[in-house]
Amino acid sequence: MIDTIIIEGLAFALPMFIMAIGGIFSEKSGITNLAIEGLQGFGAFAGAFAAVITMGMVSAGSQIPYYVSFIAAVLGGMLYALLHVMLCIRFKANQVISGVVVNMLAMALTSFLTKRINEALFGAKSDKFILDTSMRFTVPGISKIPVLGAVIKSVYPFEIIILVVAFIAWFVMYKTPYGMHLRACGDNPQAADAAGIDVYKVRTWAVIFSGGLSAIGGMSYAYSISANFSPSIYLGFGYLAIAALIFGNWSILPTFGACLLFGFARSGGQVLIQHLGMPSTYNDLVRTLPYVVTLLLLVFFSKNNRSPRALGEIYDKGKR
Amino acid sequence: MGDSEYIIEMKHITKSFPGVVANNDVSISIKQGEIYALLGENGAGKSTIMSILFGMYEPDSGEIYIRGKKERISSPRYATKLGIGMVHQHFKLVSNYTVTENIILGMEPQNKLFGFIPRVDIKKANRDIAELSERYGLKVDPTSVISDLNVSTQQRVEILKMLYREADILIFDEPTAVLTPQEIESLLEIIRSLRDAGKTIIIITHKLEEIKAIADRCAILNRGKLIDVREVKDTSTAEMANLMVGRKVTFTVDKTEADPGNVVLRVEDLSVKDEMGHEAVKDVSFEIRSGEIFALAGVSGNGQNELVDAIAGLKKAEKGHIFLNDKDITESTVRERIESGLAYVPEDRQNVGLVMGYTLKDNLVLKDYYTDKYSSRTVIKDEAKAENGTRLIQEYDIRSGKGNDTIVSSMSGGNQQKAIIAREIEMNGRVVIFMQPTRGLDVGAISNIHKQIIDERDRGAAVLLISLELDEVMNCADTIGVIFDGRINRIAKASELTVEEVGRFMMGVEKGGES
Repeated sequence: MIDTIIIEGLAFALPMFIMAIGGIFSEKSGITNLAIEGLQGFGAFAGAFAAVITMGMVSAGSQIPYYVSFIAAVLGGMLYALLHVMLCIRFKANQVISGVVVNMLAMALTSFLTKRINEALFGAKSDKFILDTSMRFTVPGISKIPVLGAVIKSVYPFEIIILVVAFIAWFVMYKTPYGMHLRACGDNPQAADAAGIDVYKVRTWAVIFSGGLSAIGGMSYAYSISANFSPSIYLGFGYLAIAALIFGNWSILPTFGACLLFGFARSGGQVLIQHLGMPSTYNDLVRTLPYVVTLLLLVFFSKNNRSPRALGEIYDKGKR
Repeated sequence: MGDSEYIIEMKHITKSFPGVVANNDVSISIKQGEIYALLGENGAGKSTIMSILFGMYEPDSGEIYIRGKKERISSPRYATKLGIGMVHQHFKLVSNYTVTENIILGMEPQNKLFGFIPRVDIKKANRDIAELSERYGLKVDPTSVISDLNVSTQQRVEILKMLYREADILIFDEPTAVLTPQEIESLLEIIRSLRDAGKTIIIITHKLEEIKAIADRCAILNRGKLIDVREVKDTSTAEMANLMVGRKVTFTVDKTEADPGNVVLRVEDLSVKDEMGHEAVKDVSFEIRSGEIFALAGVSGNGQNELVDAIAGLKKAEKGHIFLNDKDITESTVRERIESGLAYVPEDRQNVGLVMGYTLKDNLVLKDYYTDKYSSRTVIKDEAKAENGTRLIQEYDIRSGKGNDTIVSSMSGGNQQKAIIAREIEMNGRVVIFMQPTRGLDVGAISNIHKQIIDERDRGAAVLLISLELDEVMNCADTIGVIFDGRINRIAKASELTVEEVGRFMMGVEKGGES
C-alpha cells in the first residue's frame, strides 16, 4: 500500500516539479507566469503530434517515438512561450492577463489543431492523439528494500529525465553567470541594467526556458495519466505547479518538497479510497485533495513567503 | 582633437524632455584628477547632464570628448567601458544578493566545471572584493546581504562596484543626501583619498559646505543653463548660493518672538515599538502650544520615525497617551486625527506623502476628497478638484510638465515636496508635523519652506518639526527637544541652548536634565 502511494505519488509529483521549475525561471526573472498551464498543454500537443508521426515510421513497441515526443514537446513549449514573451516583454502587456490569454488560446488552438490534423492525416474525426502508455522499469535487487525501495520501483523513464533536467536547471539558476543575471533582473532590473545586463534578453530566455520545462511536465502527464493527448490535458495541474513554487518560496529545493506533498496527497487519497472500499464516485472527491492541501498551506505558510521584488513589474528602460 | 588637459569635455549639450529643457547649451570641461562639483537647485539639470555622460540619455545636440576622443555614449555599458562609473542617488543594488554578488554582477569571474561548463567563481570573487575593499579602505563584508546593510555601507558597495569595473571617472549623484553627519565626514574622506589615488571625481550636490570642503572647481547650473564655473577656494559659499538661485538668499530665518497660547498637542509617557519589536520610543513626554515651533533634534534612527508614526496614527502606541486639544487621540483612526486638525508632512514623500501614479490635482485632495467641498454624495466634483489644483499650483509655485494633470512620479523631488506642503498647509491644521521637510532640497526651496513653517506658527498652529539638520533646528525652533536612543534627553527654549550643547545631547554625551 505504502509502495503504491510512493510510486504513484512520485509519478505525479515529478512532472509538476519540472513545471514549477519552469515557473521559477520566469518569475525569478521578474515575469509573472500564469501561462504554465497553457505551456504544458501546448508542449504535450507538439510532443504527441511528433509521437504519432514517428509511430507510423518505426516498428511497434519501439521507444523512439517516446523520446522524440519529449524533444518535440520541449521545442513546442519554447516556441509557444514566445507568445508570452511577445505580450509581456515586447508589448509590455499586463503579465497576468497575458498568462490567462496564453492559457485559453492553448486550449482552443490545440483542440482545433488536433481535430484538423486527425482529419487531414488519418481521416479520423477525433480530438485525441492516442499514445501508448509509457513503459515502466524497476531497478532489480535494491528495489526490494522495504518502503524506500518503492522509489525505484515501476519508474517511468520521464521521471529520470525530469530529475536530470531539474539538476541542470538548478545549476544554471544558482551557479552560472546567466542564473545570477536572471535572479538580479527579478529583484532590481534597474541595477541589472546599470551593471550592463540586457534585462529584456535575460527575461526573454527565462520565459522561453519556462515553456520548455513546462512542456516536459505536460508530456509526462500525457504519457502517464491519460495515455493520449486530448483537451483533458488541461486539468489545472499547471496552476497547481504555480501554487507549489509559491510555497517553495521561488526556490527549487523547497518547491520539490511542495510537489512531493501534493503528489503524496493525491496518491494517498486514492489508496485510501481503495482501502476503505469506497465507491469510485468518491474519486472526484479525492481529486480535490491536492487543492485542499493547497488551501491549508496557503493559510499557514504564505505569510513567510517573499516573491521576487520586481515580479510582474513592467520594466521600462526610460523610466526614472 | 581636444585639449589634452581635460579628461572630459562636454560641448554645447542640449537635452529636452516633454515640457522642460533640462540642459540648454551646457559646456563643461573636467581635468584629470580633480574633484569637480556640479551645483544647482532641484531641476537645474545637474543629474541630467551626468546621466548623459553615463549613457543613460542621449543628448539632443552637442558633443562629448573623453580623453580627447569624440565619443557617442549610447549606454551605461559603453560608459563603463570608457572608465566612467556612477553612484546614483537611488542605489542600484540587488537587495537579496551579497555584497560580492552585487559588485561582480555583469562581469563575474568564471571557472569551467569539467573544463567546459561556465560557473561563477564565487570564492575568487569574494577574495577579490575583500582585497579591493582593503586597498581603498572601504570597509565591507563581502558575504553580507545588501538588505541587511545600512545606507552608508550600501553606498560603499556602490563605490566598490565602480572601482571593480576599473572606472577612473567617478560620478556621485547627491551622495550625502541619505547620510548622517558622521557618515558624511567619512564619505568625504573616501572621496578625497580616491582623488589622491588618481581618480577624477564629479560630485552633484546642493550642499555648499561639502563643496567648500572637498571640491577643486565648481560649475553652477540654473534652470538648465550653465551660469558659471568657479575655483572653489576663491569663492565664498554665499557667492555660490547667489549664483545658484539667481537671487540673494538669506541664511538666517527671519522670525519674530513666539507668542505661545494654549497647549494643543500633548504627549504623555509614550512608548512605541519598531518593526523588529524593540522599544524605539521610551516614555516620551512633551507638549506643544499653539503658536510654537517645537523642534525635535536627533541623529537619524533614534526613534523619531516611530514617534511621529504614533502621533500620525500609522503605528500603534504601546503605552502612554496623545492628546490633541485635550482630546485623547491615542486610539483614533488616521482619518479621525486628520479631522481633528492634524496635518503631517512625512519624511518619505514617495511612499507616505503621495500616490505616485496619481495626477497632481488628485494628490492635492487626497485628505479631503470625500468632504462636501469635493464630493456630492458619492461622486467627485471634478471642477472643484481642478480649481483647487490650479490655485495651489499658482500659490505654491509647483512646477510640472502638465500642470494639474501631471503624474506626480514624473515631477522632481522638490516639486513633489511643494505639493505635499501645499496640501497640508491648506488643511489649516491645529497641529502641523514637518518631518525632515527640506531633505534633499536646494537652498532656495529650503528657505521657502522655513518661511512656510514660521507662517504656520504665526497663524496659531502648534508645529512639530523633526529634523536631522542641526542648522534647521536652531534656525526655526522656539523650543528644542533632543532625542537620543528613544528618550527625549533635554527640552529647553531655543534661546537657552547652543549648537554645541544640542550636539552633545544628540550624541548622547550628556543625558537627563528635563526642564
